[in-house]
Amino acid sequence: MLKNNLSKRLLAISFALLALGLFDVFPGVSIISSAYAAEPAKLGDLASFRTIVVDTLNLVQKGDLAGGKTRIKDLETSWDDAEPSLKPRAATDWHAVDKAIDNALSELRSNHPDQASCKKSLTDLLAIMDKVGGKH
Amino acid sequence: MTTSPNRHALTMLNKVPEVTLIFWIIKIMSTTVGETGADYLAVHVGLGTATTGGIMLAFLVAALFLQLRASKYIPWKYWLTVVLVSVVGTQITDALTDGLGVSLYASTSVFAIALAAIFAFWYRIEGTLSIHTIVTRRRELFYWAAILFTFALGTAAGDLATEALGLGFRVGVIAFGALIAVIGVACYLGANAMLSFWLAYILTRPLGASLGDLLSQAKTYGGVGLGTVQTSIVFLSVIVVLVGLVSIQQSRATRKAIAVNE
Repeated sequence: MLKNNLSKRLLAISFALLALGLFDVFPGVSIISSAYAAEPAKLGDLASFRTIVVDTLNLVQKGDLAGGKTRIKDLETSWDDAEPSLKPRAATDWHAVDKAIDNALSELRSNHPDQASCKKSLTDLLAIMDKVGGKH
Repeated sequence: MTTSPNRHALTMLNKVPEVTLIFWIIKIMSTTVGETGADYLAVHVGLGTATTGGIMLAFLVAALFLQLRASKYIPWKYWLTVVLVSVVGTQITDALTDGLGVSLYASTSVFAIALAAIFAFWYRIEGTLSIHTIVTRRRELFYWAAILFTFALGTAAGDLATEALGLGFRVGVIAFGALIAVIGVACYLGANAMLSFWLAYILTRPLGASLGDLLSQAKTYGGVGLGTVQTSIVFLSVIVVLVGLVSIQQSRATRKAIAVNE
């Protein structure tokens, strides 16, 4: 029983230290500010993602659908990697872009990709990116 | 130790670990590995969420089979099952949210109710929710069902906090860490130990995810910039080392107990 109490105490102390330590690591961040962060914020700079979409669109317009399929994979991975950072900034905007990316991915990855549909899904995606990015 | 031989025999057969600091560290890290590992397979390797889900479910069934068949607590079998429950629990929530478009408010409520129902049945049938007496097959199944749903609930509630409150991983680490610290202190001050345990267990899911994000996210986004692969490898290595350590401790304790009984 002694061991049990000891580990309980250690647990309580370590979590308290963890919490205190984290307040030190991020002095600028407070829990209170997060409560006010609920108002819609912009996703921020989407330029790096936009570049990939433009590249893909160029390939598709040249008729290189296989090249477009390869290039858009970069968008899928980088967009997915950035999800934990971008989503909290503006969840609704994030979902809108995410859905448009999904559309473009499925067009380019279909068994018989169609140039016109691929082009449309990519221009739609660019439009949504520009809309949430502030370029109305 | 003043425990009687009978009490000791029961402890030996308990098939889940004692809740120590190492327990929580492995639990939090297995959560992170569960999240990043599955995501890596689905997106970077390109298997897709459905195939990854199928593979992980098959692994979980196999691990659970090993765990249920074991005659006592074997650390690697137990923790392998936890890691895989973590993966599958996360995938259930993701499939509902991203695949079926179920709102996080709905899934959080449903998982909370389901978990409460599991505890209610568990208590009604067994008369206890004690994790110190997981000594029958039925209690084991209740235990693992509860754990699966704490992961599903923790994922849904954590994602809800991200979406509804705009809680990023930096604030997430602090907020979930602080909540667990509060529960730890409450438990230390005499709050119900079982309730504290399960509440902390649920909260370690979003804490582990935020911690993983903090380490893996790029520096431009305020992360440490290790990347998901490296973060997973580091955490997996720590888990393997800690589980190895626990295994050595356990086999020593077993030998000692046998020596005492003789």
